[in-house]
Amino acid sequence: MADNPRLIEHQYDGIQEYDNPLPRWWVLLFWATIVFSIMYAFNLGVGSGPGRIAQYEAEVAAAKAAAPPPAEFTSPEELAAMATNTQIVEAGKAVYTTNCVSCHKADGGGLIGPNLTDNAWIHGGTLMEMHKTITEGVIAKGMPPWGTLLKPDQIDAVTVYVASMKNTNVPGGKAAEGTVVP
Amino acid sequence: MADAQAAGRLETFSYDDDIVRKFLFVTILWGAVGMLVGVIIAVQMAYPAWNVAPWLTFGRLRPLHTNAVIFAFAGNAIFTGIYYSSQRLLKARMFSDALSRAHFWGWQLIIVAAALTLPLGFTQAKEYAELEWPIDIMIAVVWVIFAVNFIGTLIKRRERHIYVAIWFYIASIVTVAILHIFNNLAVPAGLFKSYSLYAGVQDAFMQWWYGHNAVAFFLTTPFLGLMYYFMPKAAEGPVFSYRLSILHFWTIVFMYIWAGPHHLHYTALPEWASTLGMLFSVMLWAPSWGGMINGLLTLRGGWHKVVDDPILKFMVIAITGYGMSTFEGPMLSVKSVNSLSHYTDWTIAHVHSGALTWNGFLTFAMVYWLAPRLFQTELYSKKLAEWHFWIATVGILLYIVSIYSAGVTQGLMWRAFDETGRLQYPDFVETVARLIPMYWTRVVGGTLYLVGMLVFAYNIVMTWKRRAATYAITTVQAPALTKEYTPEPMRPGVDVPATAFGRFVAMTFHRAWERTPIVFTVLVAVAVIVASLFEIIPTFLIKSNVPTIASVKPYTPLELAGRDLYIREGCFNCHSQMIRPLRFETERYGEYSKPGESVYDHPFLWGSRRIGPDLAREGGLKSNLWHLRHFENPREINPRSIMPAYPHFSTNDIDFPGIQKKIDAMLMLGVPYGDAINTAPDMARQQAREIAADLAATGGPSGMETKEVTAIIAYLQRLGKDIKAAPGVATTTKAGGQP
Repeated sequence: MADNPRLIEHQYDGIQEYDNPLPRWWVLLFWATIVFSIMYAFNLGVGSGPGRIAQYEAEVAAAKAAAPPPAEFTSPEELAAMATNTQIVEAGKAVYTTNCVSCHKADGGGLIGPNLTDNAWIHGGTLMEMHKTITEGVIAKGMPPWGTLLKPDQIDAVTVYVASMKNTNVPGGKAAEGTVVP
Repeated sequence: MADAQAAGRLETFSYDDDIVRKFLFVTILWGAVGMLVGVIIAVQMAYPAWNVAPWLTFGRLRPLHTNAVIFAFAGNAIFTGIYYSSQRLLKARMFSDALSRAHFWGWQLIIVAAALTLPLGFTQAKEYAELEWPIDIMIAVVWVIFAVNFIGTLIKRRERHIYVAIWFYIASIVTVAILHIFNNLAVPAGLFKSYSLYAGVQDAFMQWWYGHNAVAFFLTTPFLGLMYYFMPKAAEGPVFSYRLSILHFWTIVFMYIWAGPHHLHYTALPEWASTLGMLFSVMLWAPSWGGMINGLLTLRGGWHKVVDDPILKFMVIAITGYGMSTFEGPMLSVKSVNSLSHYTDWTIAHVHSGALTWNGFLTFAMVYWLAPRLFQTELYSKKLAEWHFWIATVGILLYIVSIYSAGVTQGLMWRAFDETGRLQYPDFVETVARLIPMYWTRVVGGTLYLVGMLVFAYNIVMTWKRRAATYAITTVQAPALTKEYTPEPMRPGVDVPATAFGRFVAMTFHRAWERTPIVFTVLVAVAVIVASLFEIIPTFLIKSNVPTIASVKPYTPLELAGRDLYIREGCFNCHSQMIRPLRFETERYGEYSKPGESVYDHPFLWGSRRIGPDLAREGGLKSNLWHLRHFENPREINPRSIMPAYPHFSTNDIDFPGIQKKIDAMLMLGVPYGDAINTAPDMARQQAREIAADLAATGGPSGMETKEVTAIIAYLQRLGKDIKAAPGVATTTKAGGQP
């Protein structure tokens, strides 16, 4: 190797260098990235096109267009029927355990949110009123609008589950708030 | 060849190896400490009970880990290698033994100061630039000492030309100084508190100009320099290509500096900056690989040696890791890829696959090579070095495979929509809980790497114990450089081309630069500064980058105090405050963030990782009481949460009189504070009373009006609210058009 004509004679603390030409594939790779970058910068075939905000607005519009029609309006009768269906109430309990216990406590006795086991209701105690409160939330008090997070059947189910807790008056629950709905 | 020239007076001198030994020891010490902290925070993510409030929570320890491994471990490793190799490559003892020692002890003092202040919560909230202003000044002073010592050595060298390793050292020293100074400019508001000179978009830009180039000029270029010295030494063969060295050196120096904005894709940073950052990152692929090629091809004809030489094994993995990371980096900088990877563990995996191999393994190789030479004895055990190699390699594999999986899993879960057009995983914690098994795997991988580190430390300490009774000091003789010098062809049979263009292509001009290191240093500085200004000037001067939003007002005094608690606890390490204009983000968090929203944010707190959810629009989403309970014990509210508990918020008192100092500093930065100029403490007390009254009224504890919890709640309840006060203004504002 010592007689390689490309070896530079000079030594730095014993280290030598070859004067090898640049590897062709490396040069090509470099040029390719440069060409790509120029094309991208001027939107020639690749690029950010109309820009991220326009892309976002298009994405939102497309999603809106593709969204299934709004779910059928849940009627008071339907909710009343569901309230007697133990399977649905049980499904509602699962939704409640995942999403609601952090504020209303596992037994519904209330923690940050109000007690759900008494007979007093702040935003109305009928099934339809509860359904509305859950769907739209009470932003000012920290109740999130679950309509955007849960599917319609989950909202229905959790509504009837919450209604099923009414008047169970668990021990250690928060003091009643709101209007009494017997 | 120099013999043919008029030789200078023959001089006799010796190298300062004592300073190299000093740096070598602390490299090992801080490496073990930094990696241990890494393992601790890895456990904290899988098992939050390991957070010990207030000093040992993830938010405070994570910067300690990054600072320790970058500036203490890698930093001291760089100095070890630079002090050893530069003296030999320049045929000169370091310029001043006193400066060498001032550099050594100064740097260790900085590290100790960092190790004390970070757990205490003193932080500037800028990644890898967390240290507060007095320490920043120390860093600047020590760095200048190092630079003077190094440049002094360049001047008194006895080697006509400077070798490629020296070029990389020069680039690192010059650029780190520039980056450090300009990113850390701040107005002090107390001995250990300061506010960044820049706000919002500009602060974010400066931070990632710095942050990305800390990777470039602290973890890449100095290590390339080390590679160019220690690789041919260990492989006992010539470097593959001198002209590849020239080309990849200058392209790296000029192009790296542009790449920072790729850390801010889809944020409120103007899109033109983001595009520039992406394209320069893409173009960096080949220049980076130039270093890999030169490293790996130096082994040509010597691959058989790798089988039984642990040093070469470490080097091969180091350089391969460098190659993989410098391919992955450009890929991650592509906007569409980044929209998936950003804020996830993918970034963490990327960093570690680079750092554990390139920085870690190259350091191990270097120290294994140096130890017998510095201690003038044989390495204690080659077998242990082999064990170290295999344990650490398995550790790396476990670490990166699990964390890549975690990153991609979480990124995909965040963006998943179900058939009804709703987010598939609307509850953020679901996307965290899924990662816990991967986090445990990471703990195992990281622990193996740490075990390897301890085996390494043991091996080196045992080698040191068997050192020579007194170190033999080798004297070296070399002629001093003379003023007269006639350039000669570099190798036989190569003539200097006749035309200027021919000389340019043959890069003969570069040989002349190598003879004038001061000119070389100036050229590097010019390249770095010019490249920086191309992005900095438009970022600061173009008005349309940050359209004003009239409803955005400064934080109230109490909110500002709360913001400083958010900074103290390092909340920004896990929570972003930057909603990207991507549908899956706006569905989850609300309207995307506008540049005008953070104009009073000194420093910006956009964050870079979402271990918890984004908080840009947190204001008003939860009740005050929810926050209080959540701080006291997040798992009571959300059993699967991995957030540390902050019970001290409810017991620590707010320093009300101290708030005035904060407001005064903000006024100096031009934040329009009006009424709060002299009455900040009273205004804060009033707001705290209101929040405390609400807490008590909703069933929470009473007597919170003097406690920190009211300040942090005030801040969180403010986040993202201003824009809601003026609907319509926000949605039509274009976030940074083309200039």
